Amino acid sequence: MPLGIKPGRRARASRRRLSIVRTAALAIFAIGLSAMAGSFAYFFPAAKLAWDATSQVITIASPSPSPINTAPSSPSPVPIYQPGAFTVLLLGSDDDSKFSADTVLTQSMILVRVLPESKQVIMLSIPRDLWVPFSTGGSGKIDEVYANGYAGGAVATVERDFGVHVDEYIWIGLLGLIKLIDAIGGIDVVTSNPVLDDYYPQDIYDPYPYDYQRVAVLAGPQHLDGIHAMQYVRSRHNDLQSDIGRSKRQQQVLLAIRKKAKQVSSADIQPIALALGGEIKTSIGLDRVAQMIPLAATFDNPDAITSMVMLPPLWHSGAPRGSLTPNWGAINYFVHQYFPYG
Amino acid sequence: MISRFLLGVGLIGLMLVASFGTYTYLAGRQSKVAVVAQKPTAASPRPNAFTLPGTLYLSQSGAIYSLSFGRFHQLTAQDGWTQPSLFPNNSNLLAVHRLYDHSDVFVLSRFGQPVAQWTSNNASGPDTGARHWSFYPRLSPDQGTLWMSYDEPKVGYDVPLSIWAVPAGNSIRQGKLWTNSIDYTGGDVEPIPLRTGGVMYTKYSRDDNANLTGQLWLAMRPARPANGLTLTTDGAEGQPLTSTDEDCAQPSISPDGGQVAMICTYQKQISYLVLASWNGSSLGPRRVVITDQLVAQPTWAPDGSGIAYLAPGAGASDFQLWFLPKARYNPPPPSPIPVPTPTPGGPYHGPASSPTPAPPVVVPLVKPIQMTTDAGFDATSPLAWAG
Repeated sequence: MPLGIKPGRRARASRRRLSIVRTAALAIFAIGLSAMAGSFAYFFPAAKLAWDATSQVITIASPSPSPINTAPSSPSPVPIYQPGAFTVLLLGSDDDSKFSADTVLTQSMILVRVLPESKQVIMLSIPRDLWVPFSTGGSGKIDEVYANGYAGGAVATVERDFGVHVDEYIWIGLLGLIKLIDAIGGIDVVTSNPVLDDYYPQDIYDPYPYDYQRVAVLAGPQHLDGIHAMQYVRSRHNDLQSDIGRSKRQQQVLLAIRKKAKQVSSADIQPIALALGGEIKTSIGLDRVAQMIPLAATFDNPDAITSMVMLPPLWHSGAPRGSLTPNWGAINYFVHQYFPYG
Repeated sequence: MISRFLLGVGLIGLMLVASFGTYTYLAGRQSKVAVVAQKPTAASPRPNAFTLPGTLYLSQSGAIYSLSFGRFHQLTAQDGWTQPSLFPNNSNLLAVHRLYDHSDVFVLSRFGQPVAQWTSNNASGPDTGARHWSFYPRLSPDQGTLWMSYDEPKVGYDVPLSIWAVPAGNSIRQGKLWTNSIDYTGGDVEPIPLRTGGVMYTKYSRDDNANLTGQLWLAMRPARPANGLTLTTDGAEGQPLTSTDEDCAQPSISPDGGQVAMICTYQKQISYLVLASWNGSSLGPRRVVITDQLVAQPTWAPDGSGIAYLAPGAGASDFQLWFLPKARYNPPPPSPIPVPTPTPGGPYHGPASSPTPAPPVVVPLVKPIQMTTDAGFDATSPLAWAG
């Protein structure tokens, strides 16, 4: 023991040192806890969206789906069977104020085949007016099936009628698409022609949803915000192909969103989630989403993206309520060149 | 020993700083994808920055700006102004004033003051079809005729734009319908009046696979005379200058009249800057000058020193102003191969020596120059460039 230091003082000094260590540990713990709380507060909207929107259970409505339309196997222009390949059904709904939340139509139905190995994407738009048997029973335009059986009904109907297997689905509402595009700062698109419509529905942010408005989206490369992108993909009056022409434009905008999404960082998830609240649902689990985001960035070659719409003779007009009568034999032969049998 | 009270207060403060700091840090890590474009006037030119000759007019967020001596000036309020074009004598500007359900052509001074309104496309009443759009105004070389795209005739749901020529300052009723646009395509746009009296324009049509595609066309006489009731169909709409497969639009004729710059997409979500020689009636072989950008609105410099265009900036979206120097598309001719000097002492009859190959002429690749970084110009609005 050094001279001049009493045992009592040494004990107090030891307690003081211990107190400083404890205090430092407590401070570090508090900082860590607070940082976690700050992170949680930041990512909470994204976590809530992920919880609410992803991993949606597909309820297959009875009767059980079984392919009703079969066709001889057709040669595939692209190798559609690859490790990791999957098929997604994209559903887009007019969920404006003209409709109640549970009776929306799916104005846009796009089958997407993703082939990670060859970095190819195949998109096939299904005409919304196609007259099909529903998996839930009865028949009608295919855009009505969501109102009858939600996403499960839509997936089961597509699987049964087209004889394909759908791995996942993504549903997005009208406002969701507008908000998504705005949240990523707009998109760059080459609009294929001037889209002018004197009778475009004035049902977004308007108290009189049955009114009309004039829209004019000019042709060529341009930057579109959510509202104008929606006008471009939704207008059909001034298009001879009506819904078919609209489907082509929808595919252009989807590709532009995918391209822009490559610039998004993980910190952008919060404002995007805030924008999308309640406007998107998917069966894809969070783990799969995490795998898909980096995968999407690798699809760079525009020639590796095949966009298709169904044209005559796959269907002919003249069915009830202005719908299209499918030529199932031709449809199945065509579809199975790009999408494997279910 | 630290007082428990002080310790508690300190820890609470530390926790608040840590939590808010983390939140703020994460918010600061967001990418710039959703950043709103700045006004061009917000940026100051860097010292020794490259400056364009003359004055360039362009549109952003409903306002028209001029760029001269490296500095932007806002000429109009952000109130729907777009698509400026110059009077041939550079005295005034034409511009489109676009509102939510119609648009009109105005004459503006070069400082942006409205001088005259040349169309009246608004209408009273709830009928949306009673209103009209006017786009892409241009004056004829003699300044006597306004050329524009105008949505008449239209029937029901079919609202195609057609090319009209209207005596400057007169009503559309005195105008002539020059093109017979194809139904349900969007129609005919971007007229360029020619000195020969005809018009070059972009016509939208459907190809054999029913895809909508743009083509440059040349028309030498109107489809319908003023106040005429019959629409001539004997080829009055002219002849195509490009194919449907090329999917070309936005033509711009060089100051010497010998070349046309245009964008072609080949029916994909891309756009290439393409040049072709022009003899007044047909286009020569195509030269693709830029392939790695989403090019829009190519516009020749009045002094022939290059081409300005709009395209997304490096690593970001939103359309920025770019300049392509002439050396990129018209490189200087290679230096002549040196001729061997005669050997003194008369002709040599021995074996001929193999000629030494001339060193290859290395033409440095001239890159386009990005003139703005975060401006976000309207890519559907042609540029106007005064010398």
